[in-house]
Amino acid sequence: MESVCPVSDRQRESLKMAMAWRLPTQLPTPGNLHHYDSKTLSFPASLSWCRTLAPDHLLPSSSSSTSTATGTHTRRFMKCRARAGAGAVNLAPGTPVRPTSILVVGATGTLGRQIVRRALDEGYDVRCLVRPRPAPADFLRDWGATVVNADLSKPETIPATLVGIHTIIDCATGRPEEPIKKVDWEGKVALIQCAKAMGIQKFVFYSIHNCDQHPEVPLMEIKYCTEKFLQDSGINHVIIRLCGFMQGIIGQYAVPILEEKSVWGTDAPTRIAYMDTQDVARLTFIALRNEKVNGKLLTFAGPRAWTTQEVITLCERFAGQEANITTVPVSVLRVTRQLTRLFEWTNDVADRLAFSEVLSSDTVFSVPMSETYGLLGVDGKDIVTLEKYLQDYFTNILKKLKDIKAQSKQSDIYF
Amino acid sequence: MCEFVIPGAQNTTVLVVGATSSIGRIVVRKLMLRGYTVKALVRNADQEVVEMLPRSVEIVTGDVGDPATLYAAVQGCNKIIYCATARSTISGDLYRVDQRGVYNLTKAFQDYNNKMAQLRAGKSSKSKLTLVKFKTPESVDGWEVRQGTYFQDVVASKYDGGMDAKFEFTFTGDAVFSGYVFTRGGYVELSKKLSLPLGRTLDRYEGLVLSVGGNGRSYILILEAGPSADTSQSKLYFSRFNTKAGFCRVRVPFSSFRPVKPDDPPLDPFLVHTLTLRFEPRRQKAVEGRTGVQQQDPRSFTLILEYIKALPTGQETDFVLVSCTGSGIEPNRREQVLKAKRAGEESLRKSGLGYTIIRPGPLKEEPGGQRALIFDQGNRISQGISCADVADICVKALHDSTARNKSFDVCYEYVADQGKELYELVAHLPDKANNYLTPALSALEKNT
Repeated sequence: MESVCPVSDRQRESLKMAMAWRLPTQLPTPGNLHHYDSKTLSFPASLSWCRTLAPDHLLPSSSSSTSTATGTHTRRFMKCRARAGAGAVNLAPGTPVRPTSILVVGATGTLGRQIVRRALDEGYDVRCLVRPRPAPADFLRDWGATVVNADLSKPETIPATLVGIHTIIDCATGRPEEPIKKVDWEGKVALIQCAKAMGIQKFVFYSIHNCDQHPEVPLMEIKYCTEKFLQDSGINHVIIRLCGFMQGIIGQYAVPILEEKSVWGTDAPTRIAYMDTQDVARLTFIALRNEKVNGKLLTFAGPRAWTTQEVITLCERFAGQEANITTVPVSVLRVTRQLTRLFEWTNDVADRLAFSEVLSSDTVFSVPMSETYGLLGVDGKDIVTLEKYLQDYFTNILKKLKDIKAQSKQSDIYF
Repeated sequence: MCEFVIPGAQNTTVLVVGATSSIGRIVVRKLMLRGYTVKALVRNADQEVVEMLPRSVEIVTGDVGDPATLYAAVQGCNKIIYCATARSTISGDLYRVDQRGVYNLTKAFQDYNNKMAQLRAGKSSKSKLTLVKFKTPESVDGWEVRQGTYFQDVVASKYDGGMDAKFEFTFTGDAVFSGYVFTRGGYVELSKKLSLPLGRTLDRYEGLVLSVGGNGRSYILILEAGPSADTSQSKLYFSRFNTKAGFCRVRVPFSSFRPVKPDDPPLDPFLVHTLTLRFEPRRQKAVEGRTGVQQQDPRSFTLILEYIKALPTGQETDFVLVSCTGSGIEPNRREQVLKAKRAGEESLRKSGLGYTIIRPGPLKEEPGGQRALIFDQGNRISQGISCADVADICVKALHDSTARNKSFDVCYEYVADQGKELYELVAHLPDKANNYLTPALSALEKNT
């Protein structure tokens, strides 16, 4: 399609060298992490592959013996060594990269596009890693970002995209329809290893709030393990845990209310501190430039935590419209999950439904932000509240709807 | 909600000159993010350049040093951001890009505006209004030469050398106002009642531009304003301007006129009916003439008048020019660079376009929005600034009425070492959420 990135011949040569020399030398390193292909395993077992990744559980001999004992198909993962003795050194110490060159992984997503916009606006040179697809992400190119094609699930496509990159911002998540492990775990591990081998100087990773407390939810478990993996890798990194995006509310509640469709609500008492993705992007770049934040784990939460009921009420108020709420008891969600588990091919659906466990178990999905604000030097008043966000959204959309209605009057003659 | 929404961006086409420069690259991205239509002027549209720019940017090939190539570039443009600069400090390059380039582009843009206005059977709101043009022998008719004194000098009158002045159309085709004033406190002046074209009033203009040539004296421009039916109620307003030896164009904004009687209200251009050009021997500076030429008596003068035009007023800036403060340039070439830059700035000011001239400190390639900025006038800044911040100012200035017709320096806030702070600086932190530019610029002088 287009050239992946401006790689000079010399760089390409050294890249090849790295691929030829460095990566294989790491493969036989002892102390590899193991993980079992969860295809053949039931859910609790697949939990263990993740847990063994945590270094405190790491006992090479015993874990390898269990793997052989169970006789399951094992896949080997190299561990990124924190102590750089045999591990990766900077690929090309003589070729400094510009600190403004960043790579955004998952740039087409809800958060990713805000990250790209913010970065471009602040004067970064942004490269976006997107999967090759028939309908290319033209909007990223229109904004002035460089788009490179690669797929995290195909590790061999990754290294070329990292040439000349200073910072990686990773906001990718697998699509609901594909196996969760493919991108969220294997892809991330490959990316982090590659970043380490190629001397990437900073890595920003987005995780989920409280992911360490919910090992039963696959996505959260994977995020937690990735956090651990990144911390062990020795790369300069910032881990940002998020609670929920305001943008998600639009599709889930606001649009159905406007279209007078039924809204799926739960009676769960969970409260989520929604946050505007633009604020997330803004805070991310402040954190990125702050050396004090290096290696820290931050949690970004919105100014207030909301229950589903409160959000729906708020939407109703701004829309001036009653919502048809179909309340689903959390217990039903749980039963659905048990049912879907029966069918192996719907494993991912079951995994995603497992999120309902979190909904029922956790009452507040939020965290006090004053410390983070202080660390980043941000005024909490600048963070958009959900009321403000929804009010702006509904004002805009109702105005647009009015315009469309005014236009449609003229076409009434056709009816 | 969305910090990137700018009303009017949809209908605005911006030409970015120097779109591949460190500032221009970011300017283009910022404009694209905000929904502007962007044209980029590049010298050669080879693969490398095309890939550097977003795909929806319309790429025009041309060179600011070559006026013929610029007409395609300004087609359909509403605003111009000029962030090109010479790639070397060779005088030829500097002249072509920083000096002549700005002139060529303003001219092409004004020509385009005029052409479009003519298609609509009107005049461009950005075009200048010719008040007088001294091209024919008849054009000097109606101008009255007068003389007078500010005070009666009884003692010196014995030795009074007298004064004399004349305004004539010479056989070379120039309208020349010349004479001498040896009387102490004396002055000579040239005056005419203005006759504006039908339907035109000066309140839609914000200043005068005079094209004159002479021997470098300074003159006083006096405007008489009041109801034209009753001239006894007229009030006088004056503004002093300097000329150079040789031909030059002088911009005199209406805001620089002061009432002769301090109690009078400020000048209302709508009421102006008479224009007077006065010469007095007081406060004449010695001309920095060519060496070897005999120093002339500062009490004599010659002024060739070519035209007097009114500069149009407007809400927004049409042309954003990124210039420089001169710090950060290698010292032995600084003079030449600054000379070309200043000449470029000057030709923009005289063009009649609304302008914003940004003079950043030494540029740094780092992300913007991190540090507070200082906006200042008078070449006092000492710090650098990131390219992204300059780009942000360029984009913000497009729709900011306080940015129109201003030149300013901008740099990072000076941060003193710990414990050595002398005083607290009031600076403006650039952020997309707040509009820092308006308050920062409203404190600065206009028409600079």
